[in-house]
Amino acid sequence: MLRHPLILMSLAGVAVVAADEPVQFNRDVRPILMKHCSSCHGGVKEAGGISFIYRDKALGLGKSGEHSIVPGKPEESAMLRHLKSLDPDELMPKHGPPLAAAQIALLGRWIAQGAEWQEHWAYLAPKETPPPALSDPAWPTSSLDRFVLAHLDQEKLKPAPQATAAEWLRRVSFDLIGLPPSTDELNSFETTVGNDPFHAREQVVDRLLGSPRFGERWAAVWLDLARYSDTYGFEKDPGRNIWPYRDWVIRAFNQDMPFDQFTIEQLAGDLLPNASASQRLATAFHRNTQNNTEGGTDDEEFRVAAVIDRVNTTWTTWQGTSFGCTQCHSHPYDPIRHEEFYRFAALFNNTEDCDLDDDFPTCRVANDDAKREQAATLESQLRTLRTQLNQPGQTLAAATTDWQPFTPDAFAPSHGTLTVAADGTIRSEGTLPVGCSHKFSGPAKSFTALRLRMLPTSDDPKKWPERGAVASSFRLQLIDAAGAATGIALKEVFADYLAGPFDPMTAIRGGGGAGDFPKLNGPRGFVFVPEQPVTATAGTRLEVTIKQDAATTGNQATPLRRFAIDLTSNEAWSALVSDPQRIAAWQSHQALKQELDAIPSTLVPEMVERSAAAQRETRVFARGNRMIKERSVSPGLPAVLAPDASAADMSRLEMARWLVSERNPLTARVLANRLWGEMFGVGIVETMEDFGAAGAPPSHPELLDHLALRLRDTHHWSVKAFLKDIALSATYRQSNRITADLAIRDPHNRLLARGPRNRLTAEMLRDQALAVGGLLSPKMYGPPVFPPQPAGVWNSVYSGAAWNESAGEDRLRRGLYTYSKRTSGYPAFLTFDAPSHDLCCARRLPTNTPLQALITLNDPAHIEAAQGLAKRMTEHAPGLREQMAFGVLLATQQAASPAMLDKLTGLHIAATTDYQNAPAQAAKLAATPEAAALVLVANTLLNLDSALTK
Amino acid sequence: MSYQNHLRHAQLAHQTRRHFLSTCTSGLGALWLATTTGRAWAGLSRDPAKPLAPMLPQFPATAKRVIYLHMAGSPSQHELFDYKPDLAKLNGKECPKEFLEGKQFAFIQGVPKMLGPQFPFKQYGQSGAWLSDRLPHFSSVVDDVCFIKSMHTDQFNHGPAQLLVHTGNQNVGAPSIGAWATYGLGSENQNLPGFIVLTSGGKNPDAGKSVWGAGYLPSVYQGVQCRSEGEPVLYLGDPPGIPRPIRRRALDTLEQLNHQLAEDVGDPETLTRIAQYEMAYRMQTDASDAFDLRQESAAMHQFYGTQPGRESFANNCLLARRLAERGVRYIQLFHWGWDSHGDCQGNALNGGFTDRCKEVDQPMTALLKDLKQRGLLDDTLVVWGGEFGRTPMLENRGGNDNPFVGRDHNPGAFTLWLAGGGVKPGITHGATDPIGYQSIIDKVSTHDLHATMLHLMGFDHQKLTFQTQGAPQRLSNITKPSTRVVRQIVA
Repeated sequence: MLRHPLILMSLAGVAVVAADEPVQFNRDVRPILMKHCSSCHGGVKEAGGISFIYRDKALGLGKSGEHSIVPGKPEESAMLRHLKSLDPDELMPKHGPPLAAAQIALLGRWIAQGAEWQEHWAYLAPKETPPPALSDPAWPTSSLDRFVLAHLDQEKLKPAPQATAAEWLRRVSFDLIGLPPSTDELNSFETTVGNDPFHAREQVVDRLLGSPRFGERWAAVWLDLARYSDTYGFEKDPGRNIWPYRDWVIRAFNQDMPFDQFTIEQLAGDLLPNASASQRLATAFHRNTQNNTEGGTDDEEFRVAAVIDRVNTTWTTWQGTSFGCTQCHSHPYDPIRHEEFYRFAALFNNTEDCDLDDDFPTCRVANDDAKREQAATLESQLRTLRTQLNQPGQTLAAATTDWQPFTPDAFAPSHGTLTVAADGTIRSEGTLPVGCSHKFSGPAKSFTALRLRMLPTSDDPKKWPERGAVASSFRLQLIDAAGAATGIALKEVFADYLAGPFDPMTAIRGGGGAGDFPKLNGPRGFVFVPEQPVTATAGTRLEVTIKQDAATTGNQATPLRRFAIDLTSNEAWSALVSDPQRIAAWQSHQALKQELDAIPSTLVPEMVERSAAAQRETRVFARGNRMIKERSVSPGLPAVLAPDASAADMSRLEMARWLVSERNPLTARVLANRLWGEMFGVGIVETMEDFGAAGAPPSHPELLDHLALRLRDTHHWSVKAFLKDIALSATYRQSNRITADLAIRDPHNRLLARGPRNRLTAEMLRDQALAVGGLLSPKMYGPPVFPPQPAGVWNSVYSGAAWNESAGEDRLRRGLYTYSKRTSGYPAFLTFDAPSHDLCCARRLPTNTPLQALITLNDPAHIEAAQGLAKRMTEHAPGLREQMAFGVLLATQQAASPAMLDKLTGLHIAATTDYQNAPAQAAKLAATPEAAALVLVANTLLNLDSALTK
Repeated sequence: MSYQNHLRHAQLAHQTRRHFLSTCTSGLGALWLATTTGRAWAGLSRDPAKPLAPMLPQFPATAKRVIYLHMAGSPSQHELFDYKPDLAKLNGKECPKEFLEGKQFAFIQGVPKMLGPQFPFKQYGQSGAWLSDRLPHFSSVVDDVCFIKSMHTDQFNHGPAQLLVHTGNQNVGAPSIGAWATYGLGSENQNLPGFIVLTSGGKNPDAGKSVWGAGYLPSVYQGVQCRSEGEPVLYLGDPPGIPRPIRRRALDTLEQLNHQLAEDVGDPETLTRIAQYEMAYRMQTDASDAFDLRQESAAMHQFYGTQPGRESFANNCLLARRLAERGVRYIQLFHWGWDSHGDCQGNALNGGFTDRCKEVDQPMTALLKDLKQRGLLDDTLVVWGGEFGRTPMLENRGGNDNPFVGRDHNPGAFTLWLAGGGVKPGITHGATDPIGYQSIIDKVSTHDLHATMLHLMGFDHQKLTFQTQGAPQRLSNITKPSTRVVRQIVA
C-alpha cells in the first residue's frame, strides 16, 4: 500500500486572506505562480523573457517591452492585464483554465502592496518562534511538544492518551536501536515507570543511546544516503572493499560524533590538516559511486558520472534539494542556475579517482585496528616525500633555458606511422595496439637531460581530455657511425606534476609508465635524466624507443599520438640526480614503502585531491551533455544560499564547512527533518529529498525551525541529544491507536494527534526475527556476510562471483552486515523496500505487497526464527497458554488477551492433530507433532500485524 | 508533486480509507460514507490500497499487454535482417577514414577492415522481408511483423545501452517500461505479479536488475524476476513441514487475530495487510499453476521446442504465452549471449551466433503463431531487439586481429521488430545507409520506441509522468523533447 502525502495547507492554491491583511509572497502568491505560471515562465522556459523564479526576471522588462509586475501599480502590471484579458491570444495562463477571480484579486493586492518578494522559506535562515498560549500547558514535556500542541489547538484536536509502557518501549527500542526490547527490559520498565515515569523513560532512552546497537540502526539510515554497496555496480559488478567505511559510520553514530564533524570528515576528511586514518576513511562516503568495469567503456564518462553523482548526493543528503536538474538547465522551480551546478561540480572534479578497475586511489586500512594510524601515517609520509623528490625537477625544468628540440629523421614504429608534423611535433597515426613501440632516431647532441612532452592531438581545451598517453618504457641508445649501439642508463624521471595511478619512475624501472592515464588531460612533460651526462661525437645518432603497454578496460591502448622531445646540457640535472642527500631520500622512501607493505591491510577507496598543478578544468556541459563543453568555471556555491560570492579558489573542505555553518539555512533543517522522519515515519517536510518549491511544504514550519536550531545550537549537532528530546516528548509518547475520526481526517498522522505506527524496515524485520528466535549474533563490524539466499539469484554477466553462504554466527548477523550487491540485492530486503543503493536514497517509500507475506511466512530464515521462538516458548513454561502468552510477548511486547490465547491454543491443538496425521511433515519442523505445531504458531506470531509494525 | 496532485491524493486517500473502513467486519463499518465516484484516468490517482488494480489508459489502447524479447549483447543486424549487398563488396577492405572520424568504439582501434554479411539472404512472405538463412522458422511469420531498421541509440556499452532501451535513461534510477506500464495500467490478474521477468538461464542483463527496476516509482511496480526452474517466485513454495492445509489453518488464525487488531488499533494498513496475505496464498496456487509447463501438450512442446525443467528461451516463450493469457501486463524476457565480437568462439559470428539463432528462432516464431491462433496477438504487443547494433567493420580488439569473426558495438543503427498490439503487420520502417552503419531514413530513437509503445498502450508519453527531481519525469525522458510516436507503424 502506498502512502501519499496529505497537505495541510491551502490545497487549491486559493489562500483566504482578509482584505486588510498584508499579502505574503510565500504563503499566498508563490503557490499560485508555481501552479499556473512557472512551467512556461520558470527556470527552464522563460517565455517572453519572464520568469517567476527570480525576482529580477519577474520584475524586469519582458520581451514585449512591458513590465510584468510594477510594484505598487497593479494597473501598469502586464501580468494582471494578461490574467484578466478577454482576448484569447492575450489571456494567461495559455495552457490552462483562467485563474479564479479571488486569485487575480490577491495578486493585484500583492502588487498594490508593493510586490514584496520573499525567497522560498527553506532558503531563509531558520528562526525561533514563541508558541502561542496552549490549551493544556501541562501536556508538553519537551519544548517541541508546545509546537505540536499549538497546531492541534488550531485544528481543535486533542492529543491522544499516553501509550502503554509496552507500546512506547517497543517503539523507542526499534527507533533507537532497531531491535525489540527483551522481556527483562520490559519487566524492569513496567515496574519502574509507575513510580517516576520521566526518570524511568529517561533511563531507557539513555540505555538505548548507549547501546552499541544504536550505531548499527542509524548506520542503516545513513548508508541509504551514502548509496553504500559492497560492489562496483554496472555490468560485471565486482566486489569492492569498502566495509571499513560502513564500520566507520557505525562507530561515528555510537560515539555521537557531532554532525558538523561527521559532515566535514566524510566530504573532505582528506583535506584536513594531518588527516588521521579515520578521517581519510570517512571520505569513502563519496567513493560509494559506481565504477564501470565493462570492457570498452570510456573511463572519463563514468568518472564524470561519479562526480555528478557526488554533487547530487551532497545536495540531496545535506540540502534536501533536487540539484540534479540543474545539470541540464537552470532549475525549473528553484532559483538555482545551470552554471551553478558546474561551479559546485568543480569542487568534486579534482579528485584522483577516474573509474579505474582497481578503484584507485585506495587507502590502506590495517587489518589490525591498532596499526591503522601507523599505516595512514606511513602512507602520507610516502606521498609527501615522493612529491618532495619530484619538486626539484619541476623547478629545474623551468629554470633550464637551453631546451633544444630533438628532431628525428628515421622512424621504425612497430605499428602505424611516425612523422614530424609542420609544427615540429612527432605524430603517430594508424592502428596502434597495446604493446606497440615508437622507435625513431636522429643526429645526436650532447645532453644532460631529455624532456618528453606529450600533447593532445587537438589544441582546443574543450576537446580534452583525450585517450590516455603512457610511455610504459622509455629507452635511449647512442648509435655510432659504425652502427654500434650503446644504451644510455637513465637514473630518474621528473614529472611536471604527479597524478594518476603510475609513478613516472616506472618508465625506466618497469611497471605502469610515465604519462597520463586513463586520460590525457592536457599537455604533460617528463624529464628523463641519465646517470652521466651524455656526450655525443659527430656522426652518432640518438635512438629513442617508447613502448606502450598500458591499456584501459577492454584492452584499449593508450599510445603517444603527438609528442615532442627536447634536450638540454644544463649540468644542474646531473648534479641533482647524484646529490647524496637525494639518494638518501630515495632510500628512506624505499624503507617507508617496505614498512608499509609489511602491514596486512584492506585497500579501501578514498578521496585524494589532485595537486594544484594537476587540476582538471571544469566546463559547463551544454544541456548536461559532457560531449559538448562550454565555458570554463571556477568552484563556487549557488548564490541563493551563499549570497556572499564564494572565493574562486574555494576548496571541498571550505564547502563542507559552509554546509554546517550558521550561514547555511538548510543543513540543520534537513537533518532534523530526517531524524524526525525516522522516529515518526514521515518528516515534517514529507519530501525529505526536496525542500525546494516543488517539494511538500512543512506541516509544522515553526516546529521544524525550532528543531533545527535546537539540533545545531543547543545540542551542538549531537544526534543522540536530539533523538533523546524526541523520544522523551509527549508527542512521541502518544498512543498510536487510530480513532475512526482521525483515520479519515489525518490518515498519515501529519497533525501528530496520535503516536506513530509504522511497519518495521527490511533490516528490522530480519533482526527482530533472529532476536525473537534467540538466534541473533551480536558480532559487530568486519567484512559483509552471506546469510542463506535462494540459489541462482546472483547471475552477473561476465562475473564468476558466487554467493558462498556464511558459516556459523555469520549466518545470523544483523541485516546491516549482509553483502549488498548493486545489480542483485538481497531479495528479502528489496521486497521490503530497501533501495538498491545505486544512487542516494533519501526516503524509502513503504509498500504492502503479497511478496512480502511470502517472505515472512516462507523464507527459511524466518522458519528458522520460528523454530527458535518455539523453543524459547517451550522452555519458558510447561503450560500451553503460558507458552502462547510468552510468544506473543516476545514478538509484540503485548499481553495477549484471553481471546487471543484461545485462538492460538486452538491453532496449536488443530495443527498438532494435523501433524500427528502427517508425521513426516512434522519431522521437518521439530521432533514431535506438538513441537511442530508450536513452530507453526511461532511462525504465525511473527506474521502478526503487531509484530511487523512498531 | 503539484498541489493539484497533492489534492487528488488526499481526496483519494480519504475515499480509500473510507472504503476500507466500510468493509471491515467490525463496527467501524458504520463509518461508511460515499464510495468512489466514476473514475477517469487522472494521472497519479491510483487507489493506494490496490497499487496494481487494473486502470483504464488515457485513451483506448490497442495493446493490453506487452511481451518484450530482449536479446542481450545485441545481435548483428547485418547477419539477420539488414541486407546490404554493398557491404559484401567492401569485405576485407580497409575502412574509409570518414567512417571513423568523430566515432568512439568500444573495442575497434585505428583503421579496421570492412566485413560483409556472413550469411546468405533471401526475401520471404507477401511482404518480401529480407532475412538471412539463420532464422528459417521466423521466415514463416514475417508478414505478421513490423521491422524497424532505423533504430539508433546514444550508448555504445551494454550496461548503459540496456538501461536506455528499457528505462529511457542510460544511468540507473529511472523506471523501466514495465514499471511504467503497471503504474499506468495496473494488472489484470491480482494473483500474479503484474510485471514478470524471465531470463534464459545463463546470466542477468549487463545492467543488472535496474533494467526492470521501478526507479523513482514506488517499488511495487518493479519487475518480479520469476524462474522457469524451481520456484517461479522466490519463497512461493510452502516451506518444508508446512503443507497447504496446515498453512491455510494458520492463515485463518492469523486473519482472525489481525482483524481483532484492526479493530483495536484502527489502522487501515492492517486491513491491507490481511488482503495481501490472502493474495499471497492465492498467488502460491496461481503462480505455480501458471508456471507449470507440464500442463501443455506434447504437441505444444514440440511446437515451441521446449523441455520442461530447463531454463531456456523456449520455455520462457511458452511461459510468456501462459502469463499473457492470465492477464499479466508486462512480460520481459532476456536472452543472453549475442555479443558477437569474435574475441572467442561463443561470441563470434562464425561461432555462438548460430547457436543463439537456433535457440530463439523456433520459440519466438511459435509464440507469434500461438498468440495469433488464440486471438491474443491482436492486443498483445511483442517487441524483439538488442540494445544497439553492430559495426559493418570487422572488430580488431586492441588493434590486433581477433581469433574469430565478429563486429563491435554500433549505436548508429540496429534492427528491432514488433508484432501485434496494433502495429502494422508486414512492413519495414526506416532504412540504414548502404553499409548498414547509420540509420538515415525515418530514424527511430529508443525514446521514440518508448513513446510508440506507450501510445499503443493508450498513453500520451508526455502525460504519463511522475513528479521527482523537481520535474514531471517520464519514460520518454524530458531531456529529449524531440521524441515522437512513430505513427507510420501504428495500424
